[in-house]
Amino acid sequence: MKPILVTKDLKKYFPIRGGLLGTRKGEVKAVDNVNLAIMKGETFGLVGESGCGKTTYGKTIIRLLKPDSGRIFFNSDGSLPEDPSDELNQFDIAGLTRGKLKSLRRNMQIVYQNPSTSLNPRMLVKDIVAEPLIIHKICKGEEAEKRVLALFEDVGLASEHLRRYPHEFSGGQRQRIAIARALITHPKFIVLDEPTSSVDVSVRASLLQLFKELQQKMGLTYLFISHDLSVVEALCDRVAVMYLGKVVEVAGSEELFDNPLHPYTKALFSAIPIADPKTKRKRIILKGEPPSPANPPAGCRFHPRCSQAMDVCRSEEPKLREVKPKHMVACHLY
Amino acid sequence: MPAQVLGENEQLKVEDLVVRFYTYEGIVKAVEKAKLTLMKGETLGVVGETGSGKSVTALTIMALTPTPGKVEGGHIYFKGTTGETVDVLSLKEAGLLKIRGKEISMIFQEPNAALDPLFKVGDQIAEAILAHRLPEMLEKANQLKKEKANNSSFLKSLPILRNRSRDKLLQQVVRKEILELLRLMEISDPERVIDAYPHELSGGMQQRIVIATALACSPTLLLADEPTTNLDVTVQAQILDLITRLKRRFGSSIIYITHDMGVIAEICDRVAVMYAGSVVEVAPVLEIFKTPLHPYTKALLESIPRPGSSFKSIPGTVPNLVTPPSGCRFHPRCYHAMEKCSREIPELKEISKGHCVACFLYGDA
Amino acid sequence: MPKNRLWNSEHPRIKELVFVLRKLKASPLSIAGLSIVLLFTFLAILAPVLAPTQPDRDPYIMPREGYASTPKPPNTEHLFGTTEGQYDLYYGVIWGTRSAYRIGVLVVAVSAIIGIAVGSLAGYFKGLIDEVLMRLTDIILAFPGLILAMALVVAFGRGLDSITLAIILVGWPSYARLVRGEFLKVTSEDFVEAAKAIGCSDFRVIIKHVIPNTIFPLIIMASLDIGSIVLTAAALSFLGLGADPGYSDWGQIISLSRNWITGAPGNPFAYWHTFIIPGIFLFLFVIGWNLLGDALRDVLDPMIRRR
Repeated sequence: MKPILVTKDLKKYFPIRGGLLGTRKGEVKAVDNVNLAIMKGETFGLVGESGCGKTTYGKTIIRLLKPDSGRIFFNSDGSLPEDPSDELNQFDIAGLTRGKLKSLRRNMQIVYQNPSTSLNPRMLVKDIVAEPLIIHKICKGEEAEKRVLALFEDVGLASEHLRRYPHEFSGGQRQRIAIARALITHPKFIVLDEPTSSVDVSVRASLLQLFKELQQKMGLTYLFISHDLSVVEALCDRVAVMYLGKVVEVAGSEELFDNPLHPYTKALFSAIPIADPKTKRKRIILKGEPPSPANPPAGCRFHPRCSQAMDVCRSEEPKLREVKPKHMVACHLY
Repeated sequence: MPAQVLGENEQLKVEDLVVRFYTYEGIVKAVEKAKLTLMKGETLGVVGETGSGKSVTALTIMALTPTPGKVEGGHIYFKGTTGETVDVLSLKEAGLLKIRGKEISMIFQEPNAALDPLFKVGDQIAEAILAHRLPEMLEKANQLKKEKANNSSFLKSLPILRNRSRDKLLQQVVRKEILELLRLMEISDPERVIDAYPHELSGGMQQRIVIATALACSPTLLLADEPTTNLDVTVQAQILDLITRLKRRFGSSIIYITHDMGVIAEICDRVAVMYAGSVVEVAPVLEIFKTPLHPYTKALLESIPRPGSSFKSIPGTVPNLVTPPSGCRFHPRCYHAMEKCSREIPELKEISKGHCVACFLYGDA
Repeated sequence: MPKNRLWNSEHPRIKELVFVLRKLKASPLSIAGLSIVLLFTFLAILAPVLAPTQPDRDPYIMPREGYASTPKPPNTEHLFGTTEGQYDLYYGVIWGTRSAYRIGVLVVAVSAIIGIAVGSLAGYFKGLIDEVLMRLTDIILAFPGLILAMALVVAFGRGLDSITLAIILVGWPSYARLVRGEFLKVTSEDFVEAAKAIGCSDFRVIIKHVIPNTIFPLIIMASLDIGSIVLTAAALSFLGLGADPGYSDWGQIISLSRNWITGAPGNPFAYWHTFIIPGIFLFLFVIGWNLLGDALRDVLDPMIRRR
């Protein structure tokens, strides 16, 4: 498998404005030097808690947000080298503008968390799903409607749903409409931003099954952002854990959940409630509150809450290194 | 009010509760003859999805049914600290004011929606304390005043200023109480938090404040409506831990509403499963995971994603509660549906000790 | 209501309209508002039928019988009597309905368009554009509306067109503020970002996605505003800044009765018809639109919430 998308030293900061004239008082370092490679055809999970930057990362790599620095290499054929040298400029989408950005949108799409707010309440469903076809001048009118109907079949909707408004559907169905909209231009890369978090538990499973089927049918690559670790464990091939804007661990899904190495990952996994009253999980309760991403601690960002913090952790930031085959950690313990 | 309605150890009994919402689209039959029993000191989990009626039931226990909902039948028997059994639905406003916040408290899903953004967090907890524990606080203030009486100046004993100094002492007493409460919530810097506004606090912290407000008057019954759903998983772990410890300290019974079976497995003693407005199964927590009886419960447990296995979902969708299915409301989605299921509504029956199901597959219905 | 095919149509837009009408039926006040507005609309449309004009004469000039200054009370010849200068009051108030609608609709339409243009740019692009445009609206809003309008009319020269222009210039900032506020709210919604994610240009996002979701509050504001616009125009006309005497405009007619409000010695209500009748027309017009605006707000808001 070769990478379809690689980010190098990606940074996205949000300025904090305050005072009378709105001067820049500081920055929220939402995504701070993130290096990740996503392989073509895989489901790459990105987990972390609120404020860790996973949603910002997802939106930045598809250029909904403009990165402050760093590179995003994207090749829909999936033939990037694992560590692209800086000369591969033609694949770098970090600095793209208007025209080229628009054609990028045919290949990279996003499905949002809340299907009630991600669909225009005043547009008919068929117009919502057909809009990308019209914008990219692929087709329109009857031809577009035919394509919408064909895609409806794949996502589990019916022809009588065409001329309805989003509010007439259930949460699960709305999410399917959002998925159809994302897939109508046959993109190769989809960011799924917590797509099952706002949906009922019983519907979740059917959506996850749908994602799997569509991936095989259409050869898609997913970046699956979630805070629901049980879903990530079941669906994803590889998983990265983020904390306060940085990646702290990356590994294959099974390996990560069986042998978490980073103290934060261990604490995170131990916090998941198990649906079995007999097993009592030994819980690692983290002390203190998650710090604000505007003022991250020096050195290793996790050190104030880490039970195994050493002196070096306070001053030096650990680098993401491969400590086991295909298992990378950013921690001074290794 | 027959005193024997509630057994020795029973704290709350919801009997045949019917709640309907009168909306433009029609009459939503949100809760249809729901039955629940809560024992003293236990944590009862209520599991259900959208439209199950779990939140409406919880709000109705405090007689706070949201408009346009109307309670159209049933009883909610509650035995508080007075030992007297009352039917919450028959109480008037005066009686309800005595119960809400004092005997029965509630914590909600969205902490920042439960806290008033205009007031400091300490003031909001104080509101709860002053509403129900005013005599106790005044007593303490008076005591404090007596201790200071020897040092008080002539000025302070003047009638005009007497109340001011008394109020200041009252403030001190209440503030001390709140700081104590915050420490109990495992907040490490209560001095800073007590004067903070809700938006200055994180989600987990806000939820602790909501819990503090709810526990300020040591209620006998705590209703928790998905209090950790919107929180990060590590924060959720902290809050669940806190709730368990507080329960031991205060001795309250808890009704914990959630859709997360993992949370249920962790903190609940007994579990009630609700679907489309009625309770379909009730059992002790070990049993409900080991031997779920109702087809819906089984399907719900199977839909929990597990690595390696395919994803099993429940076919169909939650029914439209304006025109619910006839008979058992789950029958259109049930693999085991029989002809009877579309005609009659199954009653909640005890099949084995402590384990009740509402399904024609079990018992002679 | 007849259960015909139109009423039960499956077409989504028609279903919406039916929903609005049904809700309007519900409250007596909203029925009253709707009826009054419909009545005035008919009056305006049927003006040439109800008060026939004379050929080669401007239809808006009231016919006069003689030049005596004392108004005559209602009689068989003049249904509502005459005002000072023997102008036919009946003719005046009927055609005055047209004048009122002309001013009202024109002002609302142009103010709304300017307001949408300014408000959408400010609310969508934010930043410096927002600051500059909002300070401009602030400057205009700092002046008391009526006074500023008066000053403008004096500067432009009197006449109904000047009044129309003045009220537009004084009124558009409120629309701009409303649209800006709605834009700020709507642009923070996911579906706007989703539209950008599929490749919509800014222009398309504004026109196709944001504006349709901000239209309801605008409609409500417009219907509540027509009443006050007509009232302001009448006030300016009354002060003598409007059309020439004899023009069919309620405010102008009331200004003709200035000398007769106190009536005759011994009978203070001798000339009541000169100001009470046009006053009633004005009053009903404003109340009708206000009630309709209120009703629309009650209907449209829950509809938005329902979604």
